[in-house]
Amino acid sequence: MTALTMPARPKRDAGLRPVPWRRMAWVTWRQHRAALGGVAAFLGAFAVYLWLTGLQMHHAEAAYCHPAGSLGCAINFTGRHGETAIIVSIALQAVPALIGAFIGAPVLARELETGTFRYAWTQGIGRLRWTVGKLVPLAVAVTAAAGAFTVLFAWYNQPWAAAGYVTPFSARVFDLLGIAFAAWTLAAFAIGALAGMLIRRVVPAIAATLAVYAGLAFATGLRLREHYITPLVTHSTSLPGSAWIISHWYTKGGRLVSQSAISQELRGYHHAPTTQVGPNTFQTVLNPVPYLTQHGYTNWTSYQPASRFWPFQWIEGGWLLALSALLIAITVWLVRRRAA
Amino acid sequence: MNVIETSGLGKRYGSTWVLHECTLAIPAGHVAALVGPNGAGKTTLLNLAVGLADPTAGAVTVLGGKPAGSPAALDSIAFVAQDTPLYKNLPAADMLHLTANLNRRFDQHFAEARLGELGIPLNRKAGKLSGGQQAQLALTVALARRPRLLVLDEPVAMLDPVARHDFMATVLTAAADDGVSVVLSSHVLAELERVADYLILLSRGRVQVAGEVEDLLASHRVLTGPAAEASKYAERPVVHVRRGQAQAHLLVRATVDDPVPPGWEAHPVGLEELTLAYLREPGAGALPGPARSRNTQPSEVTQ
Amino acid sequence: MVIDKSNGAPGGGAGASPAGGGLYSDQHLRVSDAEREAATGRLAEHFAAGRLDQAEFDDRVGRAMSARTRADLNGLFADLPETGSPAVPELPRGGGSTPGGGPRGPGSPIEFRLDAASGVPTYLQLVQQVEHALRLGYLKPGDQLPKVRDVVASLAINPNTVLKAYKELETKGLTAGRPGQGTFIQATLSQVALPELTGLHKSLLGWLTTAEAAGLDQDGIVALFTSALRDFHERRGGTGDRRGAASAETEGVA
Repeated sequence: MTALTMPARPKRDAGLRPVPWRRMAWVTWRQHRAALGGVAAFLGAFAVYLWLTGLQMHHAEAAYCHPAGSLGCAINFTGRHGETAIIVSIALQAVPALIGAFIGAPVLARELETGTFRYAWTQGIGRLRWTVGKLVPLAVAVTAAAGAFTVLFAWYNQPWAAAGYVTPFSARVFDLLGIAFAAWTLAAFAIGALAGMLIRRVVPAIAATLAVYAGLAFATGLRLREHYITPLVTHSTSLPGSAWIISHWYTKGGRLVSQSAISQELRGYHHAPTTQVGPNTFQTVLNPVPYLTQHGYTNWTSYQPASRFWPFQWIEGGWLLALSALLIAITVWLVRRRAA
Repeated sequence: MNVIETSGLGKRYGSTWVLHECTLAIPAGHVAALVGPNGAGKTTLLNLAVGLADPTAGAVTVLGGKPAGSPAALDSIAFVAQDTPLYKNLPAADMLHLTANLNRRFDQHFAEARLGELGIPLNRKAGKLSGGQQAQLALTVALARRPRLLVLDEPVAMLDPVARHDFMATVLTAAADDGVSVVLSSHVLAELERVADYLILLSRGRVQVAGEVEDLLASHRVLTGPAAEASKYAERPVVHVRRGQAQAHLLVRATVDDPVPPGWEAHPVGLEELTLAYLREPGAGALPGPARSRNTQPSEVTQ
Repeated sequence: MVIDKSNGAPGGGAGASPAGGGLYSDQHLRVSDAEREAATGRLAEHFAAGRLDQAEFDDRVGRAMSARTRADLNGLFADLPETGSPAVPELPRGGGSTPGGGPRGPGSPIEFRLDAASGVPTYLQLVQQVEHALRLGYLKPGDQLPKVRDVVASLAINPNTVLKAYKELETKGLTAGRPGQGTFIQATLSQVALPELTGLHKSLLGWLTTAEAAGLDQDGIVALFTSALRDFHERRGGTGDRRGAASAETEGVA
């Protein structure tokens, strides 16, 4: 006979105090520590790489690029490290998506796929506390990690900004700087969580998260971001290099001139002025602007000045935060709705 | 107190009604078996009772009127779903710790002692345990919560006979020691009589039979007699008829005190025979209370 | 030196440690009066068998009655062999091994078994097994029936079934429950004297010869006997044994 130890039943709790939040913290940690560890390792490795290459870049910039634009700078700084910098910044674009997909999507998708939600949602803590106790700490963790990473990247990027190689609004780096990187990571996590709840299978949810994130990121970078604040318009032709040129057009007599009309006009532009810039060196600069201006066209440029970098960061961070909160709220509401 | 009480409970998925108008009152202190063919709605009914699903029609309350899925209900009901879901990559010790953290009440000593008795190592991942051990682990963490009601969905379907025996021994000992009420679903009829003292027969989403096993068995008899006279007894509440050329068996609602017609013999009925007979007669019902019994003409099985 | 006694002996054992000791050795646990009494009983058997002389017996009984822990009691039997039938061999541990060698506390002389295919209701099987054990002498007045939870644990049956069986035995006057302790045999079945039994046996053989000569085969004889038994009870207006008769008719003589 198996000895079945069943000691006396302890006294039943009087009131029904809810299970404390800190207990849920251990649960979240234990269930997701592998994924969190993976992300930490990944970011850690990347950080080490950035640190090492960044040191080289800082040295090169300090040594060769004062004055900027010199030949030595071009060879030893831009030439040697430029490609690396570009590849790194492109690779980093994917990081929020990966973090969000691999941390956010499995939270609910794995429980639903393996059936363990039938255990988790019938425990005393209740499914609401369980869900919030998982999503909120994980969201905070990934956002903080991304935020810390941005600090490192800003340092890494600093020589390139100083050398004028990249402007702050450049699509390549805008969402890696300031608060944008952390905000995008949070958004990716929220998308992942909701995708996990809707799709209920881990791998498809991860794929969907990556796809949705990519779509959103491209749409923002290519179309949305430029409209956060109405761009400034000017007909000056000398804009600071750090400005973000958005578009450029001509008017004549107060009316917009189409591109084809401009091309037509420029057909007559054969005689470019040749100027002598040095002994035996002549420069022919094909700059249509003065030519067109002489012919009665007015040149307009819309742009965002560099000073608007931080306002844009706040705006982007703000709407991403709101979106994340909304997506997480929807996820929690769906959990509550008892779809079994 | 009724551990599960439903009134007019219905559940629809898409356009299919999986449960219709189920009205039940399962009393406490029993081991209640929820029986029926596959697709009858057993899992749905249990899911509704533990709060994993919401009713489309009607209502379900547990443990004396608490709404299913409410914090009070979750606190005192432990559920082990089909295929005993566990986190496969967590060792047994972490599974205990996890359950302890997700509930107000957890008897760690009992859980560890129980796993020790069963020979389940605390540091092995749950996915590496045998099927029987996984089932016992899921049951152990459920019982360590000290629930008042234990709900099991086809708990032994995947287990070998020895594992099955040990699993049920654990469940029944909890009932004996602690007074835990048990509601378990099964489609294996043979072991029911040993285990259950309350029966609910679910057929095509409707409650066909519900009552104490003792009462059900006491209120049914099989009358064996000449086939020619079988139709004479149509006015009795006859549940099911099996007939050969000369001989017929009628499963009737009668007690041992009811007179046996001359020339006929009366036998008591076993639970399995009773259940099968009702399953073959979807129109017949045996529900507690006079308002619910239906006396439709049973079909006849010619051998 | 403490001998770890796996508690399968029908005489019961005071040292109820789990098979294998190991992590869950409970030699430090306190013992109850019932365990002390059981140990005293075992000492008496050893004394009756001649293994202990009067002085040793008195001394050990005194120590048994003042024993505190299981280790104390076990120590008294350190140099004595197992009494009664051999101890149940230890069964291999492992998830799912059939129970049988585990601790049972001050045990019962009998162990129940279940024949699932017999068609006899479970509670009735338990009742019949107790009556049978009484007839054969496995149980004597004063013996304890297995605890409800132990029966449940070893047979995996509904506790209410066991309670029903025990209640039936109490109704028949065979047992009495002592609150907090268990259910104990308090009477025996009415014994029929040996000469009477021999006479009945002889007349039955005569009847069987006549029946066989008339052409009845074994099953026919059984059916005839069963129906006569039922008629006999019904004519007497049998009360308590109604169910017994009813079940007898379907599967023959109980």
